[in-house]
Amino acid sequence: MTASAANPVAPVLDVKDLHVEFDTYGGIVKAVRGVSFDVHAGKTLAIVGESGCGKSVTVQSIMGLIPMPPGRITRGTAMLDGVDIVQQKIVNGRDIRGNRVGMIFQDPMSALNPTMRVGDQIAETLQVHRGYSKRQAFDRAVEVLTLANIPEADKRARQYPFAFSGGMLQRAMIAIAIACEPAVLIADEPTTALDVTIQAQILDLLKDLQRRNGMAIVLITHDLGVVARMADDVSVMYAGEIVETGSVDDVFYRAAHPYTLGLKAAMPSSTTPKDQGLRPIEGTPPDLFAPPDGCGYFARCPHAMRVCGPSHPPNVEVDPRHNALCWLHHPDAPRTVSELHRRVQA
Amino acid sequence: MLAYTFKRLIQGVITVWFIATATFFAMHAVPGDPLANERATTEAIRKNLEARYGLDRPVTEQYVLFLGNMMRGDFGISFTQENRRVNDIIRESFPVSATLGILAVAFAAFGGVVWGALTAIYRNRLPDLVITFLVILGISVPGFVVAALGQLALVDINAWLGFSLLPIAGWGSIRHMIVPSMVLGLGTMAYLTRLMRSSMLEITNSDFIRTARAKGLPPTRIFLKHQLRNAILPVITVLGPSIAAITTGGFVVELVFAIPGLGRSFVQSVQQLDYTVIMGTTVFYGAFLVFMVIVVDLLYGLIDPRVRLE
Ligand SMILES: Nc1ncnc2c1ncn2[C@@H]1O[C@H](COP(=O)(O)OP(=O)(O)OP(=O)(O)O)[C@@H](O)[C@H]1O
Ligand code: SF4
Ligand SMILES: [Mg+2]
Repeated sequence: MTASAANPVAPVLDVKDLHVEFDTYGGIVKAVRGVSFDVHAGKTLAIVGESGCGKSVTVQSIMGLIPMPPGRITRGTAMLDGVDIVQQKIVNGRDIRGNRVGMIFQDPMSALNPTMRVGDQIAETLQVHRGYSKRQAFDRAVEVLTLANIPEADKRARQYPFAFSGGMLQRAMIAIAIACEPAVLIADEPTTALDVTIQAQILDLLKDLQRRNGMAIVLITHDLGVVARMADDVSVMYAGEIVETGSVDDVFYRAAHPYTLGLKAAMPSSTTPKDQGLRPIEGTPPDLFAPPDGCGYFARCPHAMRVCGPSHPPNVEVDPRHNALCWLHHPDAPRTVSELHRRVQA
Repeated sequence: MLAYTFKRLIQGVITVWFIATATFFAMHAVPGDPLANERATTEAIRKNLEARYGLDRPVTEQYVLFLGNMMRGDFGISFTQENRRVNDIIRESFPVSATLGILAVAFAAFGGVVWGALTAIYRNRLPDLVITFLVILGISVPGFVVAALGQLALVDINAWLGFSLLPIAGWGSIRHMIVPSMVLGLGTMAYLTRLMRSSMLEITNSDFIRTARAKGLPPTRIFLKHQLRNAILPVITVLGPSIAAITTGGFVVELVFAIPGLGRSFVQSVQQLDYTVIMGTTVFYGAFLVFMVIVVDLLYGLIDPRVRLE
């Protein structure tokens, strides 16, 4: 039926060369500069990177959620079921958003309409996308709340968001997002606002739902622990670009980009030994009003070479399905990857 | 909810008692004498009248008498209109004021919501700029000027048409009510428009609207079911004070348009120092406003589930 069903190796969502800008008083912010990624049915792609690097703008522009104006998608495609949803989102938006692609956000406390019953907020998507009657949709909403592990779902469905805790609200948000059994679920920092035990429950719930209905998940996070727990693949974003992509093992144990190495050293995670302190990355990301011609990480990179300043680095496939945007992997580069590892991890 | 309603009603009764007491002592403090006109020509007549109205008793006794009568809902007899009970004056003229007020509040609330929503949708474009300009005009021009200008405009329109499209004064038919209620509601409408505009803009950027869009809902549904309902909440909170503003504004509009409402009776009673009518209408107005504020609070609870339980 769908492209992914016809060809099991084709990704469900395939984003290519996405560019997004914002007009501001200070000039044009080039927030996303040529981002490409794909994700397969039943798999999870994590997008990591420091604050402001363009993770949210990337996924929101795919969903047609960035304010336009001031926002603008200047280039790129996002293929879902063989349809470019970046181009089609106005015409075809109703069929895609909330139906083929579900989305959950960081702050569950403000993500639901305070004046509408939780059940009605789920039922609404089913009425719009499935043409269910009010009754049918509400009954299904109760089922979906049960799927999202909300106890006494039929009672809860009749309550308003203020009667829910933060964790419960995020479950309700998940219920809204999966009500129409989407092919792709986009989760933008779904657990950042929640406390640790609830975080684990929400992540388990997402995994569980994924096993059940085979959806692809795009998970944005700051937390490498969350990546290790959830993801199959990782894309590392820096200053509007994806600088490294690969399987979790490749990116965690055979990191090929200096920024990824810096990120691992700077972030607490289960892979950091206790005695090895955290090393923050010195400096700040480049100005996105005037992004550099060469490597975005040039000013902060401990391995920077002369070529990195003026010339944009190539996207090199260092291993099969493991890419890095860095001059170090150019055949003419003086240092080898193993040398790089030794230097950084010493 | 029931306990909350009960608590609010008790508070309301205390407020009304306070208003009554303050009015009573204020009336006794003002210079002038309700009987200092042609009616009390001789000492004997004055004595007679004083006895009739209880003015020969000590102030505290008068106060107790007044409270007692008030609790039975009896405001006494007018000093200037022979044999007219204050209760009758209120009963006859209040429905007129209430009709005018309800029309004005409806006009203001409806207009405020519609214009506010429109200015938000056309933010910083021509319709927004034009309406915003009119709103500033509406807020800054005082009610009596608007009333006079409204009446003047009506005279001109009727003269230009050659027949009376709408009557310029008086009361009776729907046609009498249109212009005065619009004039009365105008300032409030301008204020509500501004409030609605900022509330709409705030909600456009809120997370739950983003959620609604991510759900793929059609824009009209997002607007009606998510945006409007939440944007109206601040408008409802100020509806209580708005009703107060329209009620007091009614004093002027009733005079200008010669409408036989309670506001006009009140103004006349003050001019004539008609002791009992002033007391009666003030307490009545006070009770009415206190009651309306409670009604608005309860209405708010109906729309915003968060306040229902508190
Ligand atoms: N509406 C907007 N107008 C102007 N600039 C914007 C707008 N939205 C985002 N940006 C800019 O785009 C850049 C990327 O923002 P984005 O929200 O995607 O970062 P992020 O990676 O999600 O960060 P975080 O981890 O803090 O959520 C930022 O520099 C931000 O200033
Ligand atoms: S391209 Fe050069 S500056 Fe950029 S990360 Fe690689 S080595 Fe560092
Ligand atoms: Mg973000």
